Amino acid sequence: MSTSVTASTSLPDSRPSRLRRFSLRTYTQNLSLPSGQRSYRHSLSSRIPWRSSNADSISPTANSTTSPCPESDHPTLSRYTSAPAPSYGFGTELNSQVSSTESAASTPSNDLAQTSNSMARLRSISAVHRPPPRTLERATTNSQESTPSPEPGPAQSNATEPTSAPADGQVTPSKSETKATIRFFPYQDSLQSSRPSLPFVPVARTLPSESCVIRVGRYSERDGVPLPNPTEPSDAPVGFKSKVVSRKHCEFLYVNGQWHIKDVGSSSGTFLNHMRLSQPNMVSRLYSIKDGDIVQLGIDFRGGEEMIFRCVRLRVECNRSWQQQPNEFNKNTESLIKNLGKGETADYSGCRECSICLGSVLRPYQCLFMAACAHVWHYKCISRLLHSPDYPMFQCPNCRAFTDLSAEVDDSNDPEEKREKEPAEDGASNDSGEQTETVVPSVVETNSVQGPPDQLGDLAEEENLANDVENLHLQDDQQTDDTRSSASPAPNSSSDDLARSATTNIPGWQPTQPLSVPAGRQSQLRSDTPTSDDNPLTPRNDSGPLAFDGRAGMP
Amino acid sequence: MGSIKRISKELTELTESPPEGITVELADESNVYEWKVIMEGPEGSPYYNGKFLVKLSLPTEYPFKPPTVSFATKIYHPNVTNDEKGSMCLGMLRADEWKPSSKIAAVLQFARQLLSEPMPDDAVEGRIAEQYKTDRGRYEEVAREWTRKHAS
Repeated sequence: MSTSVTASTSLPDSRPSRLRRFSLRTYTQNLSLPSGQRSYRHSLSSRIPWRSSNADSISPTANSTTSPCPESDHPTLSRYTSAPAPSYGFGTELNSQVSSTESAASTPSNDLAQTSNSMARLRSISAVHRPPPRTLERATTNSQESTPSPEPGPAQSNATEPTSAPADGQVTPSKSETKATIRFFPYQDSLQSSRPSLPFVPVARTLPSESCVIRVGRYSERDGVPLPNPTEPSDAPVGFKSKVVSRKHCEFLYVNGQWHIKDVGSSSGTFLNHMRLSQPNMVSRLYSIKDGDIVQLGIDFRGGEEMIFRCVRLRVECNRSWQQQPNEFNKNTESLIKNLGKGETADYSGCRECSICLGSVLRPYQCLFMAACAHVWHYKCISRLLHSPDYPMFQCPNCRAFTDLSAEVDDSNDPEEKREKEPAEDGASNDSGEQTETVVPSVVETNSVQGPPDQLGDLAEEENLANDVENLHLQDDQQTDDTRSSASPAPNSSSDDLARSATTNIPGWQPTQPLSVPAGRQSQLRSDTPTSDDNPLTPRNDSGPLAFDGRAGMP
Repeated sequence: MGSIKRISKELTELTESPPEGITVELADESNVYEWKVIMEGPEGSPYYNGKFLVKLSLPTEYPFKPPTVSFATKIYHPNVTNDEKGSMCLGMLRADEWKPSSKIAAVLQFARQLLSEPMPDDAVEGRIAEQYKTDRGRYEEVAREWTRKHAS
């Protein structure tokens, strides 16, 4: 703690001397501690009844204040840059991270609550990856960065990041499923009303606990200025600057896996899809809400000419967090995109069409735009929807998911977290099998096959060949290639079937051929996958929707 | 300009493999925005054996704006206005429901489906909707009569 405080004080001097990006990062890292503390303290004091009744959740909090590392890093980075909606999936990630550090530090018996084997394995891995001293080490690294030598500093911080960050995501898939997220977007009723409703910045919340309630009311200076979009789980109240919104207007609750809304005695009413929930100043019952519902708070007063008298119309988006995590669709898209420009070897048979022009999207040499939901269009086709009056809000024309295009870039997608996640994920298996089939052949070819074709029949030889190829990759500067080969959970070395299907296909490789590998074989491949983890040189990364940065494959 | 490419693509698709009971052509070969659709009344509906001329107009902003569908042939249906315009009210064609990823084929199939199963709760002709709900026999009788008179 003390180290980082000193670091933050010494930092401002050194800032100008460094690359902007890095200085920003270190700045936020150091900054993070005080602000993180503040927010936690605030939440502690404001929510004592809940906190004290929930002993479990208090321990991570305490943890976080003592060790600067876990939360301080990402949440404040985005807070500092005031990204309006860095996606709620991100928020859940952070929360799970907190709990992971807790469980890693405490006795393993805690883990019994989450029973699955893979979970336990992940935990143990995360414990290995993040020994408690690292947090200190990291803090000192940061403070060292403010010393005059500009070059080593950034490099150091960059190097520490991939190793320490993975813990974020490792537990994500299991934990985040239970997290309730909700987002509110301003909604303009195009049909019924001529008058616009109150504009506001999109709001996102991830509940820290199911028992939490999101209170909605009139914005008040006295309540302090709540962050519109805390990246960590929060049930901070949501305030709107409108006089037609009561101080206590309505509440959003998460009950039995379902979001609900309740009017808590507002004077001008809460409307769910145009239906008023209760009489003035009366508390309503719970109404369940679903993704896409429109909620209106209050009614325009004096024609709503003045901004302060306008009602609030918001569109609810909930239970979309699955889109923010690796799923079959976005991983498949990723693998297809990675094959772009690989020449004739790439397989475009499964490529998608641009829903705007109905042409094929995934061909090389085209400008594409991919939304956070992994839907892809030609940039030219989609640009109309990007540069709309609603900018920076973008609604995917395929799945209607909203994205904030101005949101800060989330580069926390770490190579390692993906590698750990993949074997544990069931849904990934199908997809990953396909991935290897499409990916591996092109890899082999780009590296020029070693050995004559007559070896192909022999399994042992194949293994050698595959190993050669892999080793070759490891020395390769082009990290993307070798990332891909290992990221697909059945690396060349581990599975005969795969090696065969890959190598035999090389000479006259047809796009359709590899897809014909029977499902039984695929599962066989899958069972082989864990061996790949044993190889310390195995590059990490993949499965993330968009992990194209150069860090892929760093140890 | 981009819209023309997409529209001609959809037109090609629809002419090459037309959906059941639907044939499409351009009203005017030089204008891809106006389509002439012949829709056969679906079997089991009072419109069976009828051939309805449906006009499909595409906005220049297509596919960002929805197309409009209107019946040039008079039809006795709760969801089609009983005037010279014959506009059809389709949920998916409403501005806030429309998705650019929807295709014309889907629109036409949906329209034909509506002939089999009218949606009286979303009606433009309240009187017919009322009759459809309360006196189904009479509604079918009139619809058959109109089909025979106008659509054959």
